This record gives sequence, C-alpha cells and structure tokens, in this order.
Amino acid sequence: MTRMELLDLIAQHTREVLPDLEAHHFIASDRLVDLGANSVDRAEITMLVQESLGLSVSRVELFGPKNIGELADLFLQKLNAV
Amino acid sequence: MPSKSVVTGMGVIAAIGQGKAAFATALFSGKTAFTVMQRPGRQRKSAYIGAEIREIVFSSNIAKRTLHAASLSTQAALVVLEEAWMEARLSEVDPSRIGLIVGGSNIQQRELEQIHESYRNRSEFLRPTYALSFMDSDLCGFCTAQFGIRGLAYTVGGASASGQLAIIQAAQAVVTNQVDVCIALGALMDLSHWECRGLRAVGAMGSDRYANEPELACRPFDRNHDGFIFGESCGAVVIESLESSQRRGIKPYATLCGWGMAMDGNRNPDPSLEGETQAIQNAVEVSGWSLAQVDYVNPHGTGSIAGDEAELKALRACGLTNAYLNATKSLIGHGLSAAGTVEVIATLLQMQAARLHPTSNLEKPIDPTLNWVRDKPVDHAIENALTLSMGFGGINTALCWQQPN
Repeated sequence: MTRMELLDLIAQHTREVLPDLEAHHFIASDRLVDLGANSVDRAEITMLVQESLGLSVSRVELFGPKNIGELADLFLQKLNAV
Repeated sequence: MPSKSVVTGMGVIAAIGQGKAAFATALFSGKTAFTVMQRPGRQRKSAYIGAEIREIVFSSNIAKRTLHAASLSTQAALVVLEEAWMEARLSEVDPSRIGLIVGGSNIQQRELEQIHESYRNRSEFLRPTYALSFMDSDLCGFCTAQFGIRGLAYTVGGASASGQLAIIQAAQAVVTNQVDVCIALGALMDLSHWECRGLRAVGAMGSDRYANEPELACRPFDRNHDGFIFGESCGAVVIESLESSQRRGIKPYATLCGWGMAMDGNRNPDPSLEGETQAIQNAVEVSGWSLAQVDYVNPHGTGSIAGDEAELKALRACGLTNAYLNATKSLIGHGLSAAGTVEVIATLLQMQAARLHPTSNLEKPIDPTLNWVRDKPVDHAIENALTLSMGFGGINTALCWQQPN
C-alpha cells in the first residue's frame, strides 16, 4: 500500500465520522483536530483505519503523529514491519 | 414552590406515524402497522410480530455527524425531543433551568447485539464509541448536546412503567424547583431477538397464533388475547410549572394533577389487583379528585391474559365502570420503556381533539360491561383522564390529567 492510498483511507474514514467534510480536499498537513474531530472522533477514525488494514496499533503510538501525513507514515511503517 | 405542573409540548414517533399530527390521524382512523418484524437482529429462527418504524425523517437542525453516531433509540429521541422543544419554545428558557429525564433501562439491546456479533472474532477493532454507547445515559449525552440542556439529565428505569416514571420524575424536578422545565422522554426500547425470546419464554409476549394474520395478533382486553405485541415508539413530554408556561404565554395541553405509585413486593411479571388499585387510589387522592370524576382511562392494556384481567378488576374495584376506556397498545403495540410516555401523549391528543380513538381487535371484550371505545372513534371531551402503566417487578403507576381551563 502506498502513502497516497493510506491518506485516501484516512480521508475516507474521517468523512465517515465527520460527514460534513464530504467536500473537503484532504492534504497531508491536515490535522484532524483542526478539521473538527474531537478526541472520541479521532479515536474512532484511527480505529476504523486499523480495522480496514487489519492492523492493530497501540493507543500510545497513535498519540505521536501531528497530522494525517504523519499518521499515514506511522501506518505505512507498521504495515511494512508485518 | 410552583403550584401545578402542566404539559406545554409533545413529540412522538411510532410505526403508525411520526409527529403528533400524523400520529393522531392514525390513532383516530384505527390504523395499525403490525407485520413479522424485519429489523436486523430482531429475529433468529423466529417470526415475531411487531410494529416497526419504517423511516425517521430528520430536520436539518440535527447534524449528519450526530446522526451517523446515533443509535436507533437516540435517533428517535432526537426527533421527538425536537418536536416537543419547538412547540414549547424552549429556546426562550434559560438552559440551566431545563432538565431531561430519560425513561427506560437496557434500551439498546439490539444495537449492542449487532456490535457484539460484528466484532466477535476481532474485538481488538471494537469502536471506541462503544464505551459511550453501551450505556443508556448516552441518550442524555446526545440530547443535552443537541439542545444545550444545562439543568439536569439522567435515566430512570421501571420496566414497562418507565415512561410514566420519567414523567413523575420530571414533575418532581419541577415542583421541587430544581428546574423550571423538565422534559420526560420515553425511550425507544430496541429489542434484540434475545429479549423477544425471553419475553416469549416467560409468557409475556404473544404467541404465533396469528402468524399468518399479523394485524390480528395485538388484541388487548379481547378474549383471544395471549400476550403483548411489541411496537417501536418514542415520546417526549415537556413538563413545567404553570407559572413558567405563563411567562412564555403558552397554553398547556393539560394539567398533571397528581400521580400514584405502588409496589407489589414481587419480583415477577405477575400483575396485582391490590398494587394497581393502590396506585390508582393514591393518584386520585393526591389530585384531590373523586374517582367518579374520572371520565377517561388510558389503561396499561398490553394484551397479556393475567395483566388485562387484573387491570379491569382494579378499574372495577375503584368504581371506574363509567369512564371511557380504549387501548392505545392495540394500535401501536407495546413500546415497553416508551409506552407510558407515548400513551400519555395519546391521551392528551384525544383530550385536545375531544375525540377518543378506537381499540383494534376488541371483538369480544373480556368484560363487555365496561364503557369501551371499540371499532369506531367516539366524540367525547375528556375532563379528567387517568393513565396507567405497570412494569415487571411489581411496579404500578397512575397519573391524573385535567383539561386546562
């Protein structure tokens, strides 16, 4: 899976939790919190991504990324380590 | 201390209609919507009959993200609360003086069962929001967030009496001046196939006798009744002090003159003549009424053999033989946690319309001497109405409602 595909997956699940972002054009520097995602929304979005990937990442590691680009990088790194 | 509590707004949804206008039209026309239930998670090697809400129409005030996260019970709560809120013009009231009581416990069983089934073999991916949604009080969270309620909000459980208990609790919050306005919400009980199985096994839910004629299965007080038939519903009733309603110049639907509650001291589903009689007498006494003043009774009337018989005996024991009587559950089914609230709404809509709705399938009443509204509506201006709700565990409740002057 490429970084771009991961970004698309994150965007897809973000739109699922926050339907008002339907028309938003996601870029790597987008921060979920700036897009209106509260802590529960962020937990929900990252879990949906994990579920789609069949990959479990600890909550502690998910605190690290500062934007969705870094989040995609984290997932990419985890996928490549499998 | 406020003198009396009144109802200034109502919202309702049931399988026969969404909103008071559609609901009342359906009630007076005797419309029903019983079929073999279709909602995912309701059946397992079964064909339980019930009345399910086909579609919920939401206003644009409720955000898509809210609806995405909301369970069926929450969605129903949001639409009935909005209807009641708008009618009572609660945006004109200080939010810190508004409360919400949600009637019902363990109301989202089907939703939870669906989640358990879905994540049975991959629990590591369970949605984080499950931590919120598994609790009934999640409805309080959704509703207070949507409407900005800042006074109080919590749930009360009393099995099938929950809806009336919520009204009692809301009225208590108003008369003790904790808030000026308190909304009672009878939550939509979302049964899974497990609860249907249990209710059937314990002998409370009706049998397969009418499997091929679902429209005949729900028949409270008829000789061929053999248990209740489930029906999804949800209702909200705005309770406030008369003074509070007058400040906004709102004409109330009715005055809540008093209420009574009595326990049977019995864990079982069995009804009790003594307990029901006591609840009625308590309510009427607190209201300062005489029993002879009651001209309409909205009974619990589920269709259970023992329950229907005990209730009619209680009405006889109280001398309520002249009051008009019909059975709202014959048209909408038994909403369990929602029933008490939705049936109060049915009562107040009949009071407003000066008309009583028919009772479906009441072909041979188990007591034909009572003053039944049978297959046709009856024109009657209700003055003093009594509404009854009973719950498993020996819970008996009665409320007294008066036409406002």
